[in-house]
Amino acid sequence: MMTEPREQDIIESFIRFADRLIDDVDVLDLTTELAADCARLLDVGAVGLLLADPGGVLHLLAATSEEARKLEAFQLQRDEGPCLDCYHTGEPVSVADLRTQSQRWPRFTAVAAAQGFASVHAIPMRLRQERLGALGLFGTTPGTLNDGDVRLAQGLAHVASIAIVQAANVPQDGDVLTALQTAVASRSVVDMAKGVIAETQSVDTQEAFNRLRNYAHQNHQHLADVARDVVSGQTLSAAIR
Amino acid sequence: MTEDDRVRKGLTAAVAVLGGGAADRLCAACVEFLAFDGAALSLASGGAFYSVGLAGTGIGPVEELQFTLGEGPCLDSVSSSAPVLVADLHDTHRWPAFAGAVAGLGVRAVFALPVTVAGFPVGVLTLCRHRPGRLTGATATGVFLAAELAVLPLLDVMGTDMRAAVNDVGSPAWDELGSMMRSEVYQATGVLIAQLGVPPGEAMVRLRAHAFASGMTLSDVAYQILEHRLYLDADDHPDRPGSER
Repeated sequence: MMTEPREQDIIESFIRFADRLIDDVDVLDLTTELAADCARLLDVGAVGLLLADPGGVLHLLAATSEEARKLEAFQLQRDEGPCLDCYHTGEPVSVADLRTQSQRWPRFTAVAAAQGFASVHAIPMRLRQERLGALGLFGTTPGTLNDGDVRLAQGLAHVASIAIVQAANVPQDGDVLTALQTAVASRSVVDMAKGVIAETQSVDTQEAFNRLRNYAHQNHQHLADVARDVVSGQTLSAAIR
Repeated sequence: MTEDDRVRKGLTAAVAVLGGGAADRLCAACVEFLAFDGAALSLASGGAFYSVGLAGTGIGPVEELQFTLGEGPCLDSVSSSAPVLVADLHDTHRWPAFAGAVAGLGVRAVFALPVTVAGFPVGVLTLCRHRPGRLTGATATGVFLAAELAVLPLLDVMGTDMRAAVNDVGSPAWDELGSMMRSEVYQATGVLIAQLGVPPGEAMVRLRAHAFASGMTLSDVAYQILEHRLYLDADDHPDRPGSER
């Protein structure tokens, strides 16, 4: 059977995620990879996964960049923007040209324009009837995603939802909140570890994250566990290169 | 009924119904069933501590002093995500300022247990006694059970606070929560951990203190630290702004 290169790429991406879901899931590592796959397969400038905490506030979990300044458009979704609207309605939000929405989201459209984003597609993340968050796709050129692309993005968002819930072994709906809380908390300790490594090794935070991730892979550990050891000084940051 | 059973029953009954003083009830159960003189439960969030439950005597100042002095078993317990058990404060030189301050209170033993969600600390349970001595038998088992149970009232409180803030977009609580939980703030906290050699809680306190003293937002201070435009000195008093280079 012959397939197009992109189609092959999509198949392999889903197989890789299916393989990983069988094992002990590292949510942060998996969602980081998922964001990268999403950006490549859908040809968008930046992708971010936003999760709601038990109080319904959106937090950034994973993105295609780890440099803080590039995360602003995602972090702003806590207050306003297409991902927040998508989370609230549980429906996709698609904006082909952000310039037309400056009244709807004044702060978000300004930040997005400054960072070179022209279009946005927000895809809901859910488990059964429970809303978990949103997957945000930011394009550098105006335009919409076609139906196939939206379905692909929704499929990847489902993979992320399953991973988050799977990682916490959630038996009932109520415990989803604990899973979300855990995922959100682990992101913050990883951010701290990035700061420690960036400072001690004189690299930027993106490179610090790459080193942290490589170390976690080589030692078969979860990112959050390695990060916790780095922050508490139990793992010397010099060991992470 | 064995002693273990009696303790387990007493502790779990305290948090069987959440809300309306469950944290206080759990602390009271620690005092009653585990024979401590004082018990306290605090929420740890972004380097700050918020007292949510209290029972017994002597414990109030023991907790409070640590948060003021920036050192002590509670802070170490949260930053290391591990229990810090001090059978006799006279035998340790780990926290000179804290030990000196509590010496006059007659507290000899302090046990700080992190309250965690999947290993990540969300708070700390502190227990104290006027007489020195290690944890043994049913008491030791009970202490760890109490720390496990403590996650229930803590998450309950976190949820309530967040829900309250969510319902009031633009309120100080909403802004405060939002300004803390940002990537650049955590990343800059990491930079301070490396630069100053201090634990995460203290690094976050230093960052917040500088923001407060200089009138800048947490985010602005964080970017200045990340981009090496601001250095906080190791021996600088938290109230004083650092040097800008």
